[in-house]
Amino acid sequence: MERVDLIIVGAGPSGLSAAIAAKEYGLRTVVFDENEKPGGQLFKQIHKFFGSKEHKAKIRGYKIGQELLKEAAELGVEVVLNSTVIGLYQDKEITVRIADEIRHYKGDTIIIATGASENMVMFDGWTLPGVIGAGAAQTMLNLHGILPGNRILMLGSGNVGLVVSYQLKQCGCDVVAVIDAAPKIGGYGVHASKIARTGIPFYLPYTIIKAEGTDHVTGVTIGKVDSTWNIVPGSEKHFDVDTICLAVGLSPMSQLLKMAGCTMEDTPKKGGQVPVINKYGETSVSGIFVCGDVSGIEEASSAMIEGKIAGIAAAYSLGYLSADVQCEETAKLENALSSLRQGMFAPGKRGTAIEFTEEGFPVSAHLLINGYLSEDEALCYPGVTKADGVHPMIECTQNIPCNPCQDACQNGCIKIGEKITSLPAVNGEQNCVGCGMCVAACPGQAIFLVNDDYEPGFASITIPYELLTLPQKGETGIGLGRHGEILCQAEVIEVRAAKVFDRTNLVTIKVPSQMSMKVRFYQKKEA
Amino acid sequence: MNRIKEHPILGEIKKGRLVTFHYNGQSMEGYEGEPIAVALKASGVLIHRYTKKLHKPRGIFCAIGRCTDCVMVVDGIPNVRTCVTPLKEGMVILTQYGVSAEPFEV
Amino acid sequence: MDCINERNTDIGTFQPESDDAIIVCRCEEITKGEIRKAVHDGMRTLTEVRRYLRAGMGLCQGQTCAKLVKNIVAKELKISPAKLEPATSRAPMRPTEMKILANETLEGVPKNE
Repeated sequence: MERVDLIIVGAGPSGLSAAIAAKEYGLRTVVFDENEKPGGQLFKQIHKFFGSKEHKAKIRGYKIGQELLKEAAELGVEVVLNSTVIGLYQDKEITVRIADEIRHYKGDTIIIATGASENMVMFDGWTLPGVIGAGAAQTMLNLHGILPGNRILMLGSGNVGLVVSYQLKQCGCDVVAVIDAAPKIGGYGVHASKIARTGIPFYLPYTIIKAEGTDHVTGVTIGKVDSTWNIVPGSEKHFDVDTICLAVGLSPMSQLLKMAGCTMEDTPKKGGQVPVINKYGETSVSGIFVCGDVSGIEEASSAMIEGKIAGIAAAYSLGYLSADVQCEETAKLENALSSLRQGMFAPGKRGTAIEFTEEGFPVSAHLLINGYLSEDEALCYPGVTKADGVHPMIECTQNIPCNPCQDACQNGCIKIGEKITSLPAVNGEQNCVGCGMCVAACPGQAIFLVNDDYEPGFASITIPYELLTLPQKGETGIGLGRHGEILCQAEVIEVRAAKVFDRTNLVTIKVPSQMSMKVRFYQKKEA
Repeated sequence: MNRIKEHPILGEIKKGRLVTFHYNGQSMEGYEGEPIAVALKASGVLIHRYTKKLHKPRGIFCAIGRCTDCVMVVDGIPNVRTCVTPLKEGMVILTQYGVSAEPFEV
Repeated sequence: MDCINERNTDIGTFQPESDDAIIVCRCEEITKGEIRKAVHDGMRTLTEVRRYLRAGMGLCQGQTCAKLVKNIVAKELKISPAKLEPATSRAPMRPTEMKILANETLEGVPKNE
C-alpha cells in the first residue's frame, strides 16, 4: 500500500492552498478530489472578492482559482481527480474509489478539506423539477453556460442568495424577488443594493407557502411569517416563476472526520458538526488536520489561509521545518485571517444586532430590510460628499474588511486607513480626475462618479455596469433609483470598457440635476 | 433557447464538439463532455425520472452530483447522475421509473 | 441523547400537523409525518429513525435530508438539535457499486493522463 507524507481530501481553495504550502517544505503530497475538475466552488465565483490586497481583493474568484491551480502545477502537486475518498480510518488510512477500483493509501498526515454542502428547506412542492439549490444555479450559469430558468424566485438573503441573484440577472434572467424568513437581510448591504437597483424587490420576513405545478414549477406563493412562524393571513403573494432557488446556508461535510473518531462539536455558529481543533487546525486524532468550510462555514479567502496554516502544521509535525519557523509563518497567516474576521459580519458577531458602525454612524435599518439605502440615509456617510466637478460618491455603509477603493485612487481621494473595516471617506480637498478606477475596483459596486456641474440643468453619473447587454454611447434610456424605480430619462454619454476595469464597464449617463443623488442605475428603453 | 452565448464576465464558455445522442427515442444534439443534464436542459427536458413509491417527477436539484435526483438510465445503466456524467456521442438516455426504464403499470 | 433515562421522557401523543405530508427524505420518499410518528413509536436516536424508516439510506445517503430529519426529530423530542447524535458515519461515504467495492487493490497512486 502506498504511503504518502500528506494526503489531502478536496482540491478546493483550502485543499490546494494546503498542498502548495506543504509542497514548499518538501512533503510528498497527494490531493484527491471526487470531481472532474479541481477548484471546488471557486470557479463559480465570478464576482470580485473583498478584503485587501493580501487577500486578493478585487480579483474575481475564478481567476484566483486559476492562479492557485497554476501554482500547484508549477510545484508539482499531485492532484488525482474523479477519485472519491469513501473511508478515513483512525490510523490515517484511506480508501479511495478511482474508476472501477477501491485503492488504499496511508498518509503520515491527513488534511480534510471537503468543504460544505447546501442546507435544505422544505415546503409544499419542493421536490418539483424547477426547485434547485443556489449552487446549482451558479454551476449552470458559470460552468456550463446555460440558464437555469427564465423567471426565478430566490429564497435566502445571505451572501450566496444575493450574489447568485445578481449572477442570474447578469445573464438575463428575471429574478422576481428575494425572500427570507429572517427579519433582516443576512448578506452584505452592498450585495443587496446591487440587485435592488435593478428592480429586484426584497420580501422579509417571508417564506414559501407552496411551489405550484404538476410536472414542474409554474408558480410560487409566498407569505409573511410572524414571530411564531405562522403565515400572516392576507399576506400571500403569488409569482409566476419556472425556477425557485434555495440559498439557505451551508453545512460542513465532516462525515469522514466523524468516521475517523475525531471529537466533534455541534456549533450553529460554524454551520453544524465540526471537529474540535487547535489553532493549527489539528483534530483530536494526531496527524489529522482540517481547513476551509469543513471546519466552519466562512468563505474562500479565509479557507485559503486556513489551508496554508494546516499545510505548514502538517509539515512541522513530520519534522520538515522547525518549531520557530512554524510559529513565525503561522503568526503571519493568523494576522491575515483575523483581519478578515472583523467588522459587522465577523463570525464572532453572528446573531447579534449591530446598530452603529465602528465610527458611530447609524447602520441603515432600511438597507437591512429593503436592500437599499434611502436617500436621506446615504447623505450621512463619509463616502458621500458634495464637491465641485466630478467626484466619487461611495455608498458603502457597513464595516466589512475591504479596501481596494483606497488603492485604486492615484490622487488620494479615498481614505480607509490601517483598519480595513473602516468606512471609506472621500477627501474633498483632493482632485478627482474622473478616471473611474475606484468605480471599477469596488467589489460591492457601491461607488459612483457624480458631476453636478456637467451642464446647466444636468448632472452626469458614472455607474458600474456588468449586465448582459452593454448600453451604447448616444442611446437614451431610463435612469433608475436605488430600488429600481423609474425616475427620469437618461442619455448615455460615455461607455468605458478598459481591460484594467476587468469587465466592470463604466457607463456615464446624463440626468436632470435634481436626480444626481437619486439615480443609481440605468435601463434600456423597451424595444 | 437557454444556452448563454456570451457570458458578461466569462465571455464564451468553451464547449467540446457538437454530437448527437438519443433521449427516449428522439435524436438530440449536445456538446461532447458537458454534463448530460445540461444537454437535456438545453433541449427543454425538465423531468429526469419518476420516483418509485409515489411516481412523482424529479429533475436537476443540486447539479453537483450529491442529491441523486437527476439520475436516469444511460446506455442501459440506471442511477447515473446526469449532472456530473459527461455526454458522449451516441449515448442512449431514458427516463428512469423507480430504478429502471420500465414505465410504471397504470 | 445524554443518558438512558431520556428514552422514557414523556413526549406526549402524536398530534397530526398540517404539513405532515411534505416529503423529507427525497430519495426514499419519507414524509415529515412518518418521521414524527417514528419518534412516538420509540425511535429516539437518528440512527434508529434511519433504520426504522430508511430515511437517509437512499441513493444520496442522507446528503440532502440529514439535517432536516435531525431538526424534526429534535422538535418532536422537545430538545435542541445539537443534543442529538447524528447517525453513524461509515464507509462508503458515497454510494458505490458492489462490484467496485469488491475490486480492491493496494497499488500506487495513478498518474494523471
